[in-house]
Amino acid sequence: MAERGLSHRLRKERRSVALRSTLIQAVWNYDSLQAVGFGWAILPGLERIRPDRDECAARLHEHLESFNANPYLATVAMGVTLRLEEEVARGAAGAERRLERLLRALRGSLGAIGDELFWVGWRPALGGAAAIAALASGSMWPAVVFIVAWNALAQGVRAAGVRAGFAGGAGVARVLQDPFWSRSRAAAGMVGTFAAGASLGAGAAWAAGGTSNWGGALVFLAVVALLWLGGARTGSRSRVLSPGFAFFVVVTLLGAIFHLSAGALP
Amino acid sequence: MTAIQAGALIGFGAVAFLDQWPVLQSMISRPIVIGPVVGAILGDPGGGVLWGAVLEAMQLAVLPVGAARYPDAALAGLLGTTAAVTGAADGVYPAAWAVAIALAAGWGGDTVGRAQRRWNGRTAERVRARVAAGHLEAPGRGIAVALIRGAAIGAAQVAVGLAIVAAGSWLLRGSPWAGPLDARGLRIAAGAMIAVGGVRAFGLGRRRAVALGLGVAMGVGLVAWGGVT
Repeated sequence: MAERGLSHRLRKERRSVALRSTLIQAVWNYDSLQAVGFGWAILPGLERIRPDRDECAARLHEHLESFNANPYLATVAMGVTLRLEEEVARGAAGAERRLERLLRALRGSLGAIGDELFWVGWRPALGGAAAIAALASGSMWPAVVFIVAWNALAQGVRAAGVRAGFAGGAGVARVLQDPFWSRSRAAAGMVGTFAAGASLGAGAAWAAGGTSNWGGALVFLAVVALLWLGGARTGSRSRVLSPGFAFFVVVTLLGAIFHLSAGALP
Repeated sequence: MTAIQAGALIGFGAVAFLDQWPVLQSMISRPIVIGPVVGAILGDPGGGVLWGAVLEAMQLAVLPVGAARYPDAALAGLLGTTAAVTGAADGVYPAAWAVAIALAAGWGGDTVGRAQRRWNGRTAERVRARVAAGHLEAPGRGIAVALIRGAAIGAAQVAVGLAIVAAGSWLLRGSPWAGPLDARGLRIAAGAMIAVGGVRAFGLGRRRAVALGLGVAMGVGLVAWGGVT
């Protein structure tokens, strides 16, 4: 009954919080980061917990100081906040301090887990798979599948996060230790590596023209080597060249060969 | 490009700017999605799909983690595809020009995005002051202001970009300096970029080496024997 009671508490407000969390970065800035979006998202729950307008404004003001996390996983922190705000409103000893410390710890954890899963994992994996599929098929369906797959995962995590955080409360660490995160990250790695392999194979076969065209195969190997050595590394971590600039060099060289060979690469 | 097409691109640019970080992040702002939409608006869906994939490959290894600065992939995808599709003739694209536009747009969009974030800082300060005075509606209003400003900035930067693309395309039309390349050359370059970016991003353990090998076999098989040309 206790679990049923928990699942029904603030049910309507939690749905509203999940929906509002889609705007968590709307006022992102270098001082308070996502705090305005975070505060606006939890406001329906806060208003329910604190019917007194001045008390509600005072608690909201606390949450507008600073907040940052991965945008999809930030809903976990929102759920935790609502759960502990209930305790603060009931006057539980040390609840306010516990909430403050927990939120500070959650920012780092939710940022690290979310960035690793979404930005380093699934986005390059799905993007690479969709790009090679679009190159091979010439169809827009890979882009459609990319959008559907991404949003099923990302918005699904966003929607489930409020409930998981609310149910976990101060013990939310259990949610973050769930094997789902590491398994999902590993799956993204396998999908991304498979897409990289398919691109390598398809690129070599396109260059060779499906026959024993050694000139074309050599051109492809030279392109791969140039991109590898020229800094096709991860974004601003590159010490040499940005991936974009290395790609520009490759396309310019191929364009020069194409022009000099009268409209046909070897 | 007609005025209606330019208006549609500007409107879509505003939506893509908002999707990139202020709203939802549904990834309709990625080049792989933007390319086909731009191609459809400009009457060349096939070219849009091709260039969406090429520019996605270019942006693939850029990861927005921590405090990393990263290019504006939405603006790069939109203007890069526009430069390629509007400058194409007989299946040959001004590839180096389009990639240069995408690079410049990525850098310019990042600069504009940082200005938008600084502007947001002043909005956030005002919101906090209003909430301290008991106005619970202040965060909602602050968000509305930031979104309207974001949409206007997104639309304005696309409008400026389209003017630059139109001028450059007119100057470079038919010139070898535009880096002419056909679809095969683009597939070769993008295939190599996805392969290198993927291996760099995910590394190669034993299980991943197997996945890479299976992928290579499938890629070769599809092109050599599967009729994918």
